[in-house]
Amino acid sequence: MGGRPSRSPARSPLPHLRPIAPGLGEPQAEVEETLKRIQSHKGVIGNMVVNAEGIPIRTTLDNSTTVQYAGLLHQLTTKARSTVRDIDPQNDLTFLRIRSKKHEIMVAPDKEYLLIVIQNPCE
Amino acid sequence: TATRAQPGPLGRAGRAGSAALATGGAASAKGPGRPGQLQDETLGVASVPSQWRGVQGIRGETKSCQTAGIATAEASAQARSHADAQVQTEAPVPVSTLPPSRLDTARLAAFLRRVEAMVIRELNKNWQSHAFDGFEVNWTEQQQTVSCLHTLCYPPAQGQGLHVTSISWNTTGSVVACAYGRLDDGDWSTLKSFVCAWNLDRRGLNPRQPSAVVEAPSAVLCLAFHPTQPSHIAGGLYSGEVLVWDMSRPEDPLLWRTGLTDDTHTDPVYQVVWLPEPRQSHRFQVLSVATDGKVLLWQGGGAGRLQLTEGFALVVQQLPRSTKLKKPPRGETEVGATAVAFSSFDPSLFVLGTEGGFPVKCSLAAEEAALTRMPSSVPLRAPAQFTFSPHGGPIYSVSCSPFHRNLFLSAGTDGHVHLYSMLQAQPLISLQLSYKYLFAVRWSPVRPLVFAAASGEGDVRLFDLQKSSQKPTISIKQTEDGSPVYCLEFNSQQTQLLAAGDAKGTVKVWQLSTEFTEQGPRETEDLDQLAAEVAT
Repeated sequence: MGGRPSRSPARSPLPHLRPIAPGLGEPQAEVEETLKRIQSHKGVIGNMVVNAEGIPIRTTLDNSTTVQYAGLLHQLTTKARSTVRDIDPQNDLTFLRIRSKKHEIMVAPDKEYLLIVIQNPCE
Repeated sequence: TATRAQPGPLGRAGRAGSAALATGGAASAKGPGRPGQLQDETLGVASVPSQWRGVQGIRGETKSCQTAGIATAEASAQARSHADAQVQTEAPVPVSTLPPSRLDTARLAAFLRRVEAMVIRELNKNWQSHAFDGFEVNWTEQQQTVSCLHTLCYPPAQGQGLHVTSISWNTTGSVVACAYGRLDDGDWSTLKSFVCAWNLDRRGLNPRQPSAVVEAPSAVLCLAFHPTQPSHIAGGLYSGEVLVWDMSRPEDPLLWRTGLTDDTHTDPVYQVVWLPEPRQSHRFQVLSVATDGKVLLWQGGGAGRLQLTEGFALVVQQLPRSTKLKKPPRGETEVGATAVAFSSFDPSLFVLGTEGGFPVKCSLAAEEAALTRMPSSVPLRAPAQFTFSPHGGPIYSVSCSPFHRNLFLSAGTDGHVHLYSMLQAQPLISLQLSYKYLFAVRWSPVRPLVFAAASGEGDVRLFDLQKSSQKPTISIKQTEDGSPVYCLEFNSQQTQLLAAGDAKGTVKVWQLSTEFTEQGPRETEDLDQLAAEVAT
């Protein structure tokens, strides 16, 4: 047969550029499903995902509350993480919980994102 | 010529260092009558060494200077004139959630996958945990009892036998103002009345000397401080006028007045309220409510006049027939309004308390014209949307809950406090708080289930619906002889303070115990539950 090299299976010629308009692809649906699952848990008032700069990406609360929580908890998480690592450089922060009179705030930190969940535990 | 040393007082010998005087010379000038011969003689020098100075220092004086004087003159200045060209700061862009199209949703999904299990586990543990049951932290010093912080009065007003008719705290919570007038005078007396303000945060507060006093031409029946300007205060008078003062200008405090025009109320103004303007929410207008049935909105115009911008009139024929009301006496069509309260959730919704004893739910957005023949420069509208079941006497005070959109309280001359829901005409709860009149009722700004009432028996009664729905939690005795307490207001900035004014002309500022100022964990839910007991 000819010496033409077989083409690789159909791919976009510039694979690192994704289409702008978000289709309901796999990752999008999964994100929404997960957040809905968390929100439907007993006592959960709201949840949000914040990126590494403290800017909220997804939220179930109103805008002004979200912005307030995101800014304040991002700073607190950074401080908590540096506290843990200062005490023991081999250690790292895995979870942060703040219990107040009215509810409990839980923060799951990560390199790029923060997941913040606010729950009203049954008294 | 020879110097003669005269003997005499210098002749005291024997003193150390005394002068060695050379005396000599013939005593040629002795005595008259003896022609003496004048002879030339040389005498020794008489020197008197100094007794106190040791060595004579060198005395010098400046004759001339070798350096030439420096001449200076202004030649030019180095500072340049400048003008602003550009500012470097940018207007802040409100932070909002990023549109999802700019995200890397795959990475987000991966992150959520990583943390979901842990978060769900913690949520479950939390729901079942009893670790924090009964655990309470005391951040502030606990105040166990209610105490009287200040007893304020103005002796000239007390001397005229005036009562405190109304109280208001200013927007910063540090100044309390009270109005002096009489609530039991039926005649159009021209008794002067006063508005006094005390700054409680000032050092050296003299309780008998207000920091500002304003005289008013007729009895002031109600006061309201401006919501953002700490020194502007509006007052309604017995003559029907509405005045706005600036308490920080002692020489000319009056800012605006309605004057006595066709638009002004013809009956005493019982309550004034500041409302934000519909289009410019940083400017405010004054709403006044009087027993002539009119609810009027005023705006400060030029030349110190308050201009009427909108008006409403309550007419019996236009009241919604939600409840059976007593037939009014013939000829009377106006329903006198004695109290007003705005909902904290819907700024155009308000509740009026009336002389007939029934609260009326009204709206600023009502369109229907009022059937009244009262003259007015602005067309009067009928605001009533719903009437509630009446008290046994006129209502003196209404208050909308700051925590629930449907609940409000009303209190009146029958000594009962009714808790109404906007959704039904019958009250949810009816409490008898006094055997005499109740003059004021106010919800607490911090505890959803607490309210305070001022009774004609001289007490301030604090009610906590969480503790007991039958009797007051605390009854604070304000006057010794049982003269009525006419007004009370909570301080929304310093939430442990409650001010109450009585018929003796004193204003007492009470400091409430911590149980009245700290919210418990489930109060808002309990309030919701209470409101949901609406009969279906």
